[in-house]
Amino acid sequence: MPYNIAMCSDCFFPQPGGVESHIYQLSSKLIDRGHKVVIITHAYDGRTGVRYLTNGIKVYHVPFLVIYRETTFPTVFSFFPIFRNIIIREQIEIVHGHASLSSICHESIIHARTMGLRTVFTDHSLFGFADAASILTNKLLKFTLSDVDHVICVSHTCKENTVLRASLDPLMVSVIPNAVVAENFRPLILPSDDTASPTDPHSRGTPAARRLGPNETITIVVVSRLFYNKGTDLLIAAIPRILASHPNVRFIIAGSGPKAIDLEQMIERNVLQDRVSLLGPARHEEVRDVMVQGHIYLHPSLTEAFGTVIVEAASCGLYVVCTRVGGIPEVLPGHMTEFAKPEEDDIVAATGRAISKLRAGRIPTELFHNQVKQFYSWTDVAQRTERVYDGISGVLPHDEFYPGTGAGAAGWSATRGRAGVQSFALIERLKRYYGCGIWAGKLFCLCVLVDYLLFVFLEVFAPRSRIDLARNWPKKQEEKGLDEVDAGMGVGKESGGIGRKRSARHRDREKRRDV
Amino acid sequence: MSTTTVQQNAASRQLLHNRTGAPDPSRLAPEDAFFATSPPRRVRQHSPLGLGASSGSSVRGMTEARRQREKERGRSGSRRRKRHWNKLLWFKQPYPDNYTDEETFLDHLQRNPRLQPYEFWSLMADSTVIIQHIASVIIFICCFVAIKEFEVSPVAVVSAGSISTVMGWILWDYWMGREEAAKVQALVEKEVVEDASSASSTSSLKDPQGLGLLIPNGSVSPRLGHSHSASATSITSNVSASSTGQSGSGTQYPPYGDPASSLSSRNKQRLATAKSALLIYCALLGLSPILKSLTDSTTSDSIWAMSSWLMCMNVFFFDYGGGTGAQFPASLSTNAAVMASAVMASRLPSTTHVFSITLFSIEVFGLFPVFRRQLRNSSSAGHRTLTYFLVIAASGGMGVIISNGGAVAAIVGAVLGSVLTFLVMGICCWWLIGLQKYKNEMYGPWDPARPIIRRHWDLTS
Repeated sequence: MPYNIAMCSDCFFPQPGGVESHIYQLSSKLIDRGHKVVIITHAYDGRTGVRYLTNGIKVYHVPFLVIYRETTFPTVFSFFPIFRNIIIREQIEIVHGHASLSSICHESIIHARTMGLRTVFTDHSLFGFADAASILTNKLLKFTLSDVDHVICVSHTCKENTVLRASLDPLMVSVIPNAVVAENFRPLILPSDDTASPTDPHSRGTPAARRLGPNETITIVVVSRLFYNKGTDLLIAAIPRILASHPNVRFIIAGSGPKAIDLEQMIERNVLQDRVSLLGPARHEEVRDVMVQGHIYLHPSLTEAFGTVIVEAASCGLYVVCTRVGGIPEVLPGHMTEFAKPEEDDIVAATGRAISKLRAGRIPTELFHNQVKQFYSWTDVAQRTERVYDGISGVLPHDEFYPGTGAGAAGWSATRGRAGVQSFALIERLKRYYGCGIWAGKLFCLCVLVDYLLFVFLEVFAPRSRIDLARNWPKKQEEKGLDEVDAGMGVGKESGGIGRKRSARHRDREKRRDV
Repeated sequence: MSTTTVQQNAASRQLLHNRTGAPDPSRLAPEDAFFATSPPRRVRQHSPLGLGASSGSSVRGMTEARRQREKERGRSGSRRRKRHWNKLLWFKQPYPDNYTDEETFLDHLQRNPRLQPYEFWSLMADSTVIIQHIASVIIFICCFVAIKEFEVSPVAVVSAGSISTVMGWILWDYWMGREEAAKVQALVEKEVVEDASSASSTSSLKDPQGLGLLIPNGSVSPRLGHSHSASATSITSNVSASSTGQSGSGTQYPPYGDPASSLSSRNKQRLATAKSALLIYCALLGLSPILKSLTDSTTSDSIWAMSSWLMCMNVFFFDYGGGTGAQFPASLSTNAAVMASAVMASRLPSTTHVFSITLFSIEVFGLFPVFRRQLRNSSSAGHRTLTYFLVIAASGGMGVIISNGGAVAAIVGAVLGSVLTFLVMGICCWWLIGLQKYKNEMYGPWDPARPIIRRHWDLTS
């Protein structure tokens, strides 16, 4: 059953980033599956009003004051009138907020609940509990998530974190990982087909060609913003030691940030200019071209909810050396990664292990691309997200969506109305908000009451009858039949059908390159 | 799905099975917080979620199932009926997305891992630092009031202050000398050991040095490059430079290589200290007429209000922690106190008064904390004696000021003040210990890791 979905977040194109591309890819795949998706974000420089993106994604750029790092000023209520207008105009049924630091996302979820819509929240980041900023953010998150139908997290670690931060029922939280567009992260030499044997004439990259001689140069790639929490300090400490103990190794580092100066200083102090090349900031499209120059991807991050970049690196056929932090251990199988503790010594040791394994030819890196393609795809993400939508809108029966709780009458489900049965009644909502804290609970209740009054006021003075309904993207109707067939195939035969189609496209491309 | 996937899934299952069999050694378990050597992972008695805890039968069923599963796992991994849930994202598991595994959910959560229950008497001992500072602030105020109201000679006050400062400095210098000698001794010993053990490893690393990129020692901060022999100098000279008060902050000492020449350098240091003390003395002498007229036109009410606030700032922002004399007391705190004294000085009748009170404030707020810190590290008996003395002096002074009386008022004030201070200390410590039970720190894999970086490389390069 098709839904009308509104994705709400401060983070969206033209700003680059992981959340942005997540929203875009998810939306476009949901549209492929026959849903209607609009995106609500704030206005960027030179990007205002309503825009259409590829595939008929409609983007509303709401004018808002931007305070810090493209995050809008939280003005709880001023967003409501225009939000209500968009929701009614687009006949939205489900509001899906992204990123826990975005005020548009939080406000949308509150307003949507006031308007009686189903809400989903996707958390992309990890937060601690210790510092003041985290405490404030966690309180706000608790406010918003007190009354949300379902939460999606990008990794199991992220789920644990979100459950603790917002005191959620763990069954209300689904884990749906990010994905990569594997097409955009193809290794330089690719076996032309999924089932290609090493002797296939098409594939120029036979395993024999990939086996590195003892004196051949191994290139280690680092693509990361150079911030403290990306572990740049570890990188700076480890590079000279790695280079000192492995003569035929060089580094390529792409990215910019406040730690770039330290990195340059390290290079100059140790006179490593010929073995470490700094490329400066890299656009997301260029990342693949940087990655394919190397053999090992080093990711010394200190915290990471999912770590899309290591999946991208593996997809490019790189062996990944990464720190065992956050959600990273869940992301890739053991034969693609070498884990290290976030310690200088251990990173040096792990990189050494990776280099010797690679030299021994024990890593089948040429298979990585196709494996990653099977692990992660946006179609799969969209399918799993759709199941969440089904669950909260009551299409899936309660027992099926929340397994192991009995017939919806187990202990706590009475106090925390579950999705599908999550009541919109104001008094029920107030009960949920009241539990947020001694003072915060009362404050939140006050906010919700004002929000409700504002809603009533708007219903009276700007009645629904006076708001025009937007026409849907015309292409959708034409392609609907086709889409459904496509989707049906995808569901029925797993990803086999799609995989075959893709590989056919590959073959075309290969041919073209040969010509 | 192609055959490669199937194979690979089988391989991954094997791999996962291995992983679930034994707990991951590189990750911490909650028990690690309490036991130094963590015992084998126990089976959870009840789930952290409280799921199924409502009905006893389901709990029993669950544990039964778990036992069954474990038995099977012991026998053979491949014969399991349903695949065990794994905390992994890269392959599809036959569980819904919102499945919560009760055995592993929040497994890595640590609560209060570094909790050290406070002990009453050690807490009392630590709180003396605060008492000392507050007492010295009170003594300063008492002296000011005495100068202003009771016409005590300001020269007498400042002379007493200066004499004790000089005595303190001599004591401090003696301690520093001792400490320095010990440090140099330790470093020399360490160097000998290291040279013996790692001669081969460092020789290969010395390549980049040969290119003439050695940085002159004086111009870089100690955490940047230094040769091994010079690092000893940089540490010690840094310590002394920062802790001689204002005296050493601007000067650089030439490095020395061997402990034999340390005597001359310390003499140089003393000379520099004396020189800067003289400089400050003269500057203050010249500045005091300006300081006197600076806030002359402001009404007294504003002056008292402002100086009260500044003194409060001094007390609140003071750096009570602090290890060895490495750092200054927080500069904001010192600045606030000196500014307060400058503002208060404008209420005094003559330039001599202004000069005396400003110099006295520098001694009390600038130099005395350095001495106190060093004293605390050097001798605990001295620290305790100083605390008693300060508390008695401050409360006695308060008694005199409040009651306008003489020796009797001082004694009564001293006794009352000491008892009161002791009681307040006791109650606050007890209160803090009582508040400990509300402590709930949570750590887990989501926290940014603390990178462990050895600076050794930096020092040798």
